[in-house]
Amino acid sequence: MRFRSLRLALAVLLAGAAIGASAAGAEAVRQSIAARIEAQLKAAGADAATAAPAEASPQAAATPPAAGPTPIERGKVLWVRKFKDGRTLASCYPNGGRRVAASYPLYDSRLKRVVTLEMSINQCLKVHREALLEPTDPQTMGALTAYLRSLSDGRKVAVRVPAAAESHFEQGRRLYFTRFGQRNFACASCHVQNAGRIYADQALSAAVGQATRWPFIRANQAFTLQAQIRDCLDRMGAAPFGAGSDEMNDLEYFLTYLSLGLPLKPNTDRGQTTVKN
Amino acid sequence: MRLAPGLLAALAAAIAPHAHAQKDQGLEIFIRPDKGYCIACHQVPAQAGPVTRSNVGPALAGARMRELGADRLRELLRDPTRARPDTIMPPFGRHHILDDREIDRVTEYLLALP
Repeated sequence: MRFRSLRLALAVLLAGAAIGASAAGAEAVRQSIAARIEAQLKAAGADAATAAPAEASPQAAATPPAAGPTPIERGKVLWVRKFKDGRTLASCYPNGGRRVAASYPLYDSRLKRVVTLEMSINQCLKVHREALLEPTDPQTMGALTAYLRSLSDGRKVAVRVPAAAESHFEQGRRLYFTRFGQRNFACASCHVQNAGRIYADQALSAAVGQATRWPFIRANQAFTLQAQIRDCLDRMGAAPFGAGSDEMNDLEYFLTYLSLGLPLKPNTDRGQTTVKN
Repeated sequence: MRLAPGLLAALAAAIAPHAHAQKDQGLEIFIRPDKGYCIACHQVPAQAGPVTRSNVGPALAGARMRELGADRLRELLRDPTRARPDTIMPPFGRHHILDDREIDRVTEYLLALP
């Protein structure tokens, strides 16, 4: 009896230590990358201060007023549209979807997969026997994420990495730091190692914060984070991972955890065009 | 013999536009997004190409390029990770972004920078 309780206590203690160690793993990675970026941005800022002023970027020109309904308005229409069974997307989420976006992506211990916001929308559609949406389609999924994330504007990123999800976080970290494609860049080559420096007349965004600003609005269309990452991979001369693939979801999971505690600023306007290369 | 000056002039006339075209090719490869796109990361002197604020790589100046010399420049363009494994500069030759002839054109462009 005494032995059994002792063994139980030991098991609980070990499990507790394992959970603590895992959570600390993701947290340690996040803090070390944040520190690297802070130092890099300081260096890039110093460079910018000493660099000769250049002409204004044509890409910085004001965007003409958009025609037609905004992606948020279009997303709202889809959000409240009645399914064949009389329910709506809003009925699948607590509070009708208000204040939920900052918790995504989340780890589903039953599926043993990372579930993104887009995936949760498709899960809802599947349950109600509706046609699934293409995860990067700006007209449907893009617009829906624009509306859903607008309901969490300013909420702080609250993604959790439980012990069981550490391998997914680690896979995302590995992909972010692996060099691939014809140009031999890693995501981190630009967004960690050179964050804040000027590439093709635009400042390179820092990895910390990248996951707070999507969807990105271009020419009145909403592009998800995964659409943006696919665009980046394409310009790196790499075959992009499929939207909604485990690789892409893990990458988004890692990237979003880097922005832990930062407020969501969705629907950032990026003007009419994408950056060339 | 008497023909020589005329011949030289004709040769010069034939060569000059050609040399000029080659130099332009170097610049074109330097700035094209589907080619080198060197301009995205490096600045060049104002007379030699578009004015940018690019600062991912060092600003390029003719004196430093000529100090390195054609062979080292070609080698750097082919695979800069051999000299500096942690550089993010793409291996333009090794990864077949540019062929040998295109690397030669960029090398000539760099050596001629002011």
